[in-house]
Amino acid sequence: MIDVALASLIEDMIEKAGAEGVVEFWQRVGDNLAGRMGKEAYLGWTSFNVAVREARTAFSIEGEVTPLTDMAITDVDGDVVGYLYAMRQCCYIPTIFRTRFAVGRMSPADQAVTEEYNENVHNIAVCNFCVFHERFREEIAKNVTVAGNPLACFLLATRGWSGETKISSKNVVQVNINEDHVRALLRNYECVYALVLRGARLKEER
Amino acid sequence: MPSDARMQDSNPFVEIATHLFFEDLAGKVGVAGLNNYLVSLAKNLAAAMPREEYASWSEFVGAVRDSQSILSTFEEVRPVTERCMSTLRSPFERGWREYAKRVGSFAPVHREVAEYYNHKVQPTAVTSVHIVLHTFRQAAAARIRVGDDAVRYEPVAAAWVDGTVQLPEGPKLESLLKRAGITRTKLGMLLRNHSDVWLLEPV
Repeated sequence: MIDVALASLIEDMIEKAGAEGVVEFWQRVGDNLAGRMGKEAYLGWTSFNVAVREARTAFSIEGEVTPLTDMAITDVDGDVVGYLYAMRQCCYIPTIFRTRFAVGRMSPADQAVTEEYNENVHNIAVCNFCVFHERFREEIAKNVTVAGNPLACFLLATRGWSGETKISSKNVVQVNINEDHVRALLRNYECVYALVLRGARLKEER
Repeated sequence: MPSDARMQDSNPFVEIATHLFFEDLAGKVGVAGLNNYLVSLAKNLAAAMPREEYASWSEFVGAVRDSQSILSTFEEVRPVTERCMSTLRSPFERGWREYAKRVGSFAPVHREVAEYYNHKVQPTAVTSVHIVLHTFRQAAAARIRVGDDAVRYEPVAAAWVDGTVQLPEGPKLESLLKRAGITRTKLGMLLRNHSDVWLLEPV
């Protein structure tokens, strides 16, 4: 219920602080939540990926995350420094359907926040909730270490409930993943991101 | 929770984020400001939902029981008598459990705002979400007509996931129980297995 009410809360926030204010507000909430999740340490990628699969990591709070262990990210020496992770269902999809069947339609506030974020921050959002959880993941990644190294998170691609897709050209280049591979993943997943060791020297070409 | 399979459960992460949203808001506007915010939030939600009309009270109670009414959009309601309704589970239970599991104990501001509400409005909230719940039901009931009558909602008691119970005392409670058609013992039995007990009556 509170998730459906969230749309009217955002509508109200836009009236008070503008769509830009809501974006800042959501990002701050993402920071706060990540700050309360605590630190995690894993011996290596295998133990981290098992923890993700068993929903033991801070990333699991979002729902079921699949580690795509066939899509490793390597550094200039060929060592594995990260993997792709994907969610079959966007966290916000159930709320969109619940709003549809409880209220009748999504509030235009959702689109207003999404557009504000895409135009001025990062062109990757398909709903207002993307604003919150992109920041949330980036922050919790800093608190998770694999083999003693903190992680960095790059949101790569999203698919909205009406089928629209977004791929982050900036982040795809950053982690050296072919854009076509990411596009193919969007057939089966609604949110794809990369976790890599912070400061890793990634390959220039793949 | 409606039986309609299209109305799937929310992802608890969205609820956790919303709770954090409230905590951040409370830091800016204080407990009184948060209370006002939650009240207006619930009223806006009810106002966005379609109005309802029923020919008879029994038709209305049947719609509430069968999840066809605005009052049972977000929760499974079980009528105890013609006027007394009970809610099997709090619609916030999953969110609270996930919050407790992943984040830690609930921030104190959720109880503080409930105490403010109990003092200023009516003594039936254990946490912040009860303010949303009571106000939503009140505003939603006001959008329903049964024959020529409007419908009035009044909370009798609330039991939170951790077992904390909040209810009015003395003559106020006796009056509510009489109108609901249940005894104090029956109320105790309901609160053991249900999350909320409330009253619907024609005006």
